[in-house]
Amino acid sequence: MEKEKLFDAYKIFMGLMALMGLIMSFFGFGIPFFWTTFGILVLGSFIVVVIKQNMLSYLLKRCFEAGITLFIIATLVFLLLRLMPGGPFDAEKALPPEVMANLAAKYNLDAPLYQQFFQYMNQLVHGDLGESYKYIGRPVSTIIGDTFPVSFQLGVYALILSYLVGIPLGVIAANKHNSWLDSSSMFVAMSGVSLPSFLTGAIFIFLFCFQWKLLPPGSWEGPSFYILPVLTLGLRPAAIIARLTRSSVLDVIRSDFVRTAYAKGLSQRVILFKHVLKNSLIPVLTYSGPLIADILSGAFIIEMIFSIPGMGKHLILSVTNRDYPLVLGLALLFSVILVLCNLVVDLFYAVVDPRIQLA
Amino acid sequence: MKSLIVLVSLFLVFSGCTKSSKLKYGVDRSETLINNLQTEPPSLDWHKGTDTTSSEVVGNIMEGLTALDFDDPNLKPVPALALNWQGDKASRVWTFTLREDVKWTDGVLFEAQQVADGWERLLNPKTAAQYSYFLYPIKNAKAYNEGKIKDFSQVGIKILAKNKIQVTLEEPMSFFPSILNHHSTFPIRKDIVEKFGDRWTNPENIVTLGAYKLSKWDHDDAILLERNENYFGEKAKTKYVLERMIQEQSSALNAFDVGDLDILQELPSTELGILKKRKEYVKTPLLGIYFYGFNIKQKPLDDANIRRAIAAAIDKKEIIKVLNGEQIPGSSFVPNGMLGYEIDVGIPYNVEKAKEYLAKSSYKTSDKVPKITLLFNTNENHQKMAENVQAQLKKNLGLNIELKNEEWKVLLDRYKVKKGYGIYRLGWIADYSDPDNFMQIMTSYSENNHTNWQNPQYDELVKKALSEQEVQKRKDYYKEAQKILLEEAAAVVPIYTYVHSILVNPRVRGYKTNPMDQKIFKTVELVK
Repeated sequence: MEKEKLFDAYKIFMGLMALMGLIMSFFGFGIPFFWTTFGILVLGSFIVVVIKQNMLSYLLKRCFEAGITLFIIATLVFLLLRLMPGGPFDAEKALPPEVMANLAAKYNLDAPLYQQFFQYMNQLVHGDLGESYKYIGRPVSTIIGDTFPVSFQLGVYALILSYLVGIPLGVIAANKHNSWLDSSSMFVAMSGVSLPSFLTGAIFIFLFCFQWKLLPPGSWEGPSFYILPVLTLGLRPAAIIARLTRSSVLDVIRSDFVRTAYAKGLSQRVILFKHVLKNSLIPVLTYSGPLIADILSGAFIIEMIFSIPGMGKHLILSVTNRDYPLVLGLALLFSVILVLCNLVVDLFYAVVDPRIQLA
Repeated sequence: MKSLIVLVSLFLVFSGCTKSSKLKYGVDRSETLINNLQTEPPSLDWHKGTDTTSSEVVGNIMEGLTALDFDDPNLKPVPALALNWQGDKASRVWTFTLREDVKWTDGVLFEAQQVADGWERLLNPKTAAQYSYFLYPIKNAKAYNEGKIKDFSQVGIKILAKNKIQVTLEEPMSFFPSILNHHSTFPIRKDIVEKFGDRWTNPENIVTLGAYKLSKWDHDDAILLERNENYFGEKAKTKYVLERMIQEQSSALNAFDVGDLDILQELPSTELGILKKRKEYVKTPLLGIYFYGFNIKQKPLDDANIRRAIAAAIDKKEIIKVLNGEQIPGSSFVPNGMLGYEIDVGIPYNVEKAKEYLAKSSYKTSDKVPKITLLFNTNENHQKMAENVQAQLKKNLGLNIELKNEEWKVLLDRYKVKKGYGIYRLGWIADYSDPDNFMQIMTSYSENNHTNWQNPQYDELVKKALSEQEVQKRKDYYKEAQKILLEEAAAVVPIYTYVHSILVNPRVRGYKTNPMDQKIFKTVELVK
């Protein structure tokens, strides 16, 4: 019992820290503080869950699997890049062969493929992602370090928005099943899913920047710059979450234990948000793994429309530039995030639904 | 609900929605020119950067030995770091006398050794500079770059005095001083590069001598240039230049419209029709051409009459109409406004003539001509142009053209092996202000000739023109060469000379657009 209370207190403490960090970062204060808080928060919940569920061996197994997955991904991306037609230094104004030879020698591209591969893997093991071919002299890790925090910040805000809007909207719609409230919130959700972000972004810019002159049309310099991109990015996942929550709540709401809860005379609010919601979150959680990875690693279109200095454009342009080290670095980063998110989601399954045993 | 509205309003007020006079980095709007650089410059190391964004920044923080006189139609080179220069009779040995009153931003005096250091670095194979071939005209420079010569003193560069440097070329070259306006040939401070390694271009390390100095560089976001008070020439009129990196053209247009940009360098082509009518609109012809080339090893393009027929059946004005642009149609392989531009070379649009050429070909009639593939890189404008050409050739000659678009690097890969296409496209913008820039593309030894066409006579004429000093003779050589390329062989069809269209906020005065598209800000003045 004591342990339980301790966990509850810890959870509240973490929540408060996260909230404070978020608010501060939004207004441009204490960004390092926010990241530290966030790190502590994620690590803390991890430790809490692992201890609570006795899942250390499970965790180790998953980490080992993740290592193998990353190795396979690195190998595949490495080989696929080499198979792709066109090289990193091909340009409209073709370079003389002597110059090409110098470039190949500098970047070790004249060595046999297996040697290049072993050299890359060796670098990777030592934590070196190499140097970009396009951004001459800039290490890939620096490029990621410069742009990832921006994409991450944008992604975190958008995620928070999508959960804050999506889940209540879904619950309300399910509860008032087949009412006007249900149809209208699902209409909003459906529009959110079907409208492409370049269109919603353009509409927002037109309304907020040109019609009402309330917000700036681009850049990433402070709270007023965050609103439109976060809204645009968060809208779609919010809509999907709303739909997922709705259908899942509809399933749960008909189960026996809910009827029992009603019979016990519990208020509707308690039934809905304490009993039903917790049991309906599994599909939302499943969707969250890839969603979080996707959103955090940079939204190309949103970053382009709002000229945000994030990582999204590098994900696309590094491939068109055939910037091998950058593509590899970003692919690995994306994979790490994806693997991590899925692991966290799996761990949370056990928290949300005690019937699930991971260990 | 009420509390939510109050909260949102408070937030909007807090977050500063009103336009402030202070910009990013705390600089004042009234003394800052805001330009759109569009993308992150790949490198501010002027020996390594090859793209327009890098050269735009470098062009404002550095100077070359020569500058270009944009008021002169031939863009003749004028003194910059070099006070004057002298070529020998054959234009083979060039002596440059340098200014002695120039200081780098750290106070060190500029001297000839730094010019030689820069050239050594550009040519050193370890630098792996993509533009090293710019100095190949210098004696033994190519061999040094290939690593065949290890001793740099064997390269034709000699320091005669602290302020005098002499260059000996492999072959005579009349326009050598013009090349020294290119950023790859700028001098360098070897001590700084050695001290900081790849990080020498960071704002805290870089040492330059141009009208501006690099003050801030937030990667993928913005660059701030600040006036160099020790600049040797006339000081920059505007204290700061804020270079933003807005890649998406319509987003940049939005920023321009709300006053967050003073100069919009690229206009979205879909809106060009409307933008052309705005008072902020400025257009400048560029030294650059767009052309279609024929792969002469591909049937039916191995028949010169088919190539001539196609050239005569394309109405360039119609293509430009489709683009809604202001490009200048032309048949000359040298762009409009450059020495060597000829109004009467090439095959003009003439459907009757086109039909005659077709009848003279080995195929006689269009139904016997096999399908021709037109290859271009995936891009809205290239697509529009290709579709128009397809329609024109169908209508005028009854030819069947198959359009094929490829991703940029895949396309370049096809060009390299010179296979997989009948007609291809290429755009070419001048690196230095001389027609040789264009004429050498189609020589047999050029990496950029994707036609499989070779002609020793053409090569010879281009070589002769390169070393000829007399302007009229050069013109004649180029005219003759173009006649071979465009009429006799009809290996390529020039479509138009590029025109650069921009929007300039009325508060900006003195911004000089130019045919080399060098974006120089030191002359810009901001009015209230």
